[in-house]
Amino acid sequence: MKPAMKKWITVLLLFVLLPLLIGLGIGLSGGKLYAFLYMATAIIAMIPFFLSFEKGKADARMMLLIAVMTALSVLGRILFAVTPSFKPVTAMVILTALYFGREAGFLTGALSALLSNLYFGQGPWTPFQMFTWGLIGFIAGVLAKPLKKSRIALLLYGGVAGAIFSLLMDFWSTLWESGSADPTRFFAHFVAGLPVLAVITLSNVIFLWVLAKPIGRILSRLQTKYGIGLAE
Amino acid sequence: MSRERLHPAVWMTYYLLVLAVAMFYWNPLLQGFALLGGMLYFAAIAGGRAFLSELGFTLPLAVLVAITNPLFSHAGATPLFFMNGNPITLEAVLYGILLAGMILSVLYWCKCLSMVMTTDRLLTLFGGFLPKLALTFSMTLRFFPRLFRQMKAMEAAGKTSGLLADDSFFDRLRGRMKLLPALIGWSLERAMETSASMKARGYGLPGRTNAVCRKMRGEDVVFLAVILLLGGLTLLSGILGDLSFWFYPRISDLPTGGISLMGYVSYGLLCFLPVILEWKEWYQWHLLRKKIPLS
Repeated sequence: MKPAMKKWITVLLLFVLLPLLIGLGIGLSGGKLYAFLYMATAIIAMIPFFLSFEKGKADARMMLLIAVMTALSVLGRILFAVTPSFKPVTAMVILTALYFGREAGFLTGALSALLSNLYFGQGPWTPFQMFTWGLIGFIAGVLAKPLKKSRIALLLYGGVAGAIFSLLMDFWSTLWESGSADPTRFFAHFVAGLPVLAVITLSNVIFLWVLAKPIGRILSRLQTKYGIGLAE
Repeated sequence: MSRERLHPAVWMTYYLLVLAVAMFYWNPLLQGFALLGGMLYFAAIAGGRAFLSELGFTLPLAVLVAITNPLFSHAGATPLFFMNGNPITLEAVLYGILLAGMILSVLYWCKCLSMVMTTDRLLTLFGGFLPKLALTFSMTLRFFPRLFRQMKAMEAAGKTSGLLADDSFFDRLRGRMKLLPALIGWSLERAMETSASMKARGYGLPGRTNAVCRKMRGEDVVFLAVILLLGGLTLLSGILGDLSFWFYPRISDLPTGGISLMGYVSYGLLCFLPVILEWKEWYQWHLLRKKIPLS
């Protein structure tokens, strides 16, 4: 596949298929419409990322790196099994993105969600979790320079990412349980999920605080030793 | 068995169609088919005990959804009684029940999906057109038990040498925080060796193709055609508007008529197809065993 064609597929997916799907969904106006659309949107939005990885210049080294970081972040989820919601996954995804680029960040996030749900239970929420975690990694990769320079910015990013992740989960539950974006139900979910939101946000900040230095040292040493991810 | 014999692409198409209709169509009869079919199939492939323990987990969730809907939603024209000045309507109660059924059926179908589409079958499915991603996923799965063992070894070594204390909860937490970077350092070095080895064997050279382990066979094509036909007829009937059903402001009648009937029959068959296949195979096996003379 030529790069030009890849671009066209991306444009087609995001600007033709996605609006078409939403239009069709509203036109057919049935039951779990919004939840279904949310899921379909997440799947379609992930396709360009996967295609660009498939056709891009990522070599065996990058693939293994993503594989190891994914396996580690899932293992981290199990390592901290005693503390619910207090997990290092987001921190690991962000750190991977900082040192190995936005693509590695997206894939580590998306694959971590897919793989950890193999252990924790797969469901209709999987595509959405994959996309959200992938996006957290992707944006961290885009902001790599400022986030690496300032520790406060990194902690802030981790906290905000955790809070947004939790809020989107509440939003998903609302759509999933009532079939519409019912504000009172969302508020109920938000209030019920407030402790979880606090723990997720706090855990991201704590993990990044504690782990950013030791893990960052390992990753940057790997960069110089094997010359990975320096091109970006 | 059919769930292992058929090509993964056939099953993926099947699940996508069943789930799309189950999540999209608001018709009590279709929802009933989806729920019953999904639960029966899950019971057939997971066994009675797993089914009961799953039921114990999912049923409270469904009850919760069914109860909360009329509390949050006051639409509908037939109030049953008033609570804190808000009407609890018949429509909202029934909507909640259908919603609960829908959530259950999607959960059960997802359970079946993850039991049938095991990781090796996912790799067969995606290896064809996303080989790099499929290989990455496969390597992740391979790393997982290896890392787990290494983690246990490191933990044991740390405890023996007194570097990791586990006297209190916070000690244990701190120990895990120390363990994670050590594990990362160890595993990334191994990964770099593996990638060098892959490179040495010519991975990623231009002109190399990917092996396809499992091709579509005649049987797969037949099943795919049947599934697409049944799913297509259901969708067609829905697009023509012959499956529509609504709750607010008043509950509509269940649509009947030729095209609606076509939709019901085809979706019903679609939902019960795997259970029928399982049952048929169980029965055949039963008959075959009967023919074996004992002693």
